[in-house]
Amino acid sequence: MSQPLNPAAFMNNADTHSGVTNAKLGVWLFLASEIMLFATLFTSYIVLRMGATSWPWGWDVLNVPLATLNTVILITSSVTIVMAYAKAYDKDKGGFQKWMAATILLSLGFLVVKGFEYGHEFALGIGPHTSVFYAIYFTMTGLHGIHILGGIALNGGLLYMSSVEEHWTHPLFLGRVEGAGLYWHFVDIVWIFLFPALYLL
Amino acid sequence: MSKTPDVQHDEHRPNVALYVKVFGALMVLTLVTVAISKVHLPRTQAIGLGLFVASVKAFLVGALFMHLWGENKLIHRALWLTVGCAAILVIPMIDFIMVAKNVTSPPDVAAQHPGGHSESVNETHKLDAAPEAPKAEKAAKKAKGGH
Repeated sequence: MSQPLNPAAFMNNADTHSGVTNAKLGVWLFLASEIMLFATLFTSYIVLRMGATSWPWGWDVLNVPLATLNTVILITSSVTIVMAYAKAYDKDKGGFQKWMAATILLSLGFLVVKGFEYGHEFALGIGPHTSVFYAIYFTMTGLHGIHILGGIALNGGLLYMSSVEEHWTHPLFLGRVEGAGLYWHFVDIVWIFLFPALYLL
Repeated sequence: MSKTPDVQHDEHRPNVALYVKVFGALMVLTLVTVAISKVHLPRTQAIGLGLFVASVKAFLVGALFMHLWGENKLIHRALWLTVGCAAILVIPMIDFIMVAKNVTSPPDVAAQHPGGHSESVNETHKLDAAPEAPKAEKAAKKAKGGH
């Protein structure tokens, strides 16, 4: 007769016998599926662009200064979250909370700037219906924005958990911070390609 | 506080000095990306150069912030598998890119497929004209004074 499953024992011995925790492997497999999601969108973008009789320069029709500001914001947030990981590694709760809060504020800043950009476009009557260019622009940046929202929820959850001693001292807390960081860096990488593809080239 | 062996050997030791250097490099490369767009290079060169700089930035974030540099081989294999799957999306696109400039302009389409294109145009005209035919006949009768 098989032994009953002990969830706690399973969680604390989450070894895949490969040197990678189940949690981290899960995060990477999730990111792999995300790569495929954005790869299909980028492929669609290329096909639509190559198939169009004309295609606008991004800087003619989009707000490049605001997008550049958002690039700076997102890159800075990538540094702040890796600093939060460094502080969690050192068991410096105050430092972790400071850098994670900075990450969340920067993420909100990104959304506010994006909101201004969208608001200006909508005020001019521009939307996904306007042209193929705007259709793919709103689809890709909108999906990216949803990922930013997901990251804010995830990082906000970790910030809250750090205030609860039971979670902060949990042996897997650092792994959770690392997982959230991996996701956030992925969101940053997507923007690194979206920025030149849509706004500059 | 005790940690499981699993957790202990899977953590990456942070290197704050390196993170700051990477941050500086990413900012400089962002300026380079914007500068490339301002130079107004031919579009193909601008796209190639812009995507190259973006790839360098993505490499820095992936290798050093996401700790892929020195990460477990299992993760590397999973990512290479993903890259392979993404490449499948590109394969049929290559053919499309090769012929795209020849098939997007209607006159070029007509030149490449004269029979098929002219037929489809005629069919379209027939469909468009069909609802108008009774009206045209009525107008002609009216002009002649008929009912």
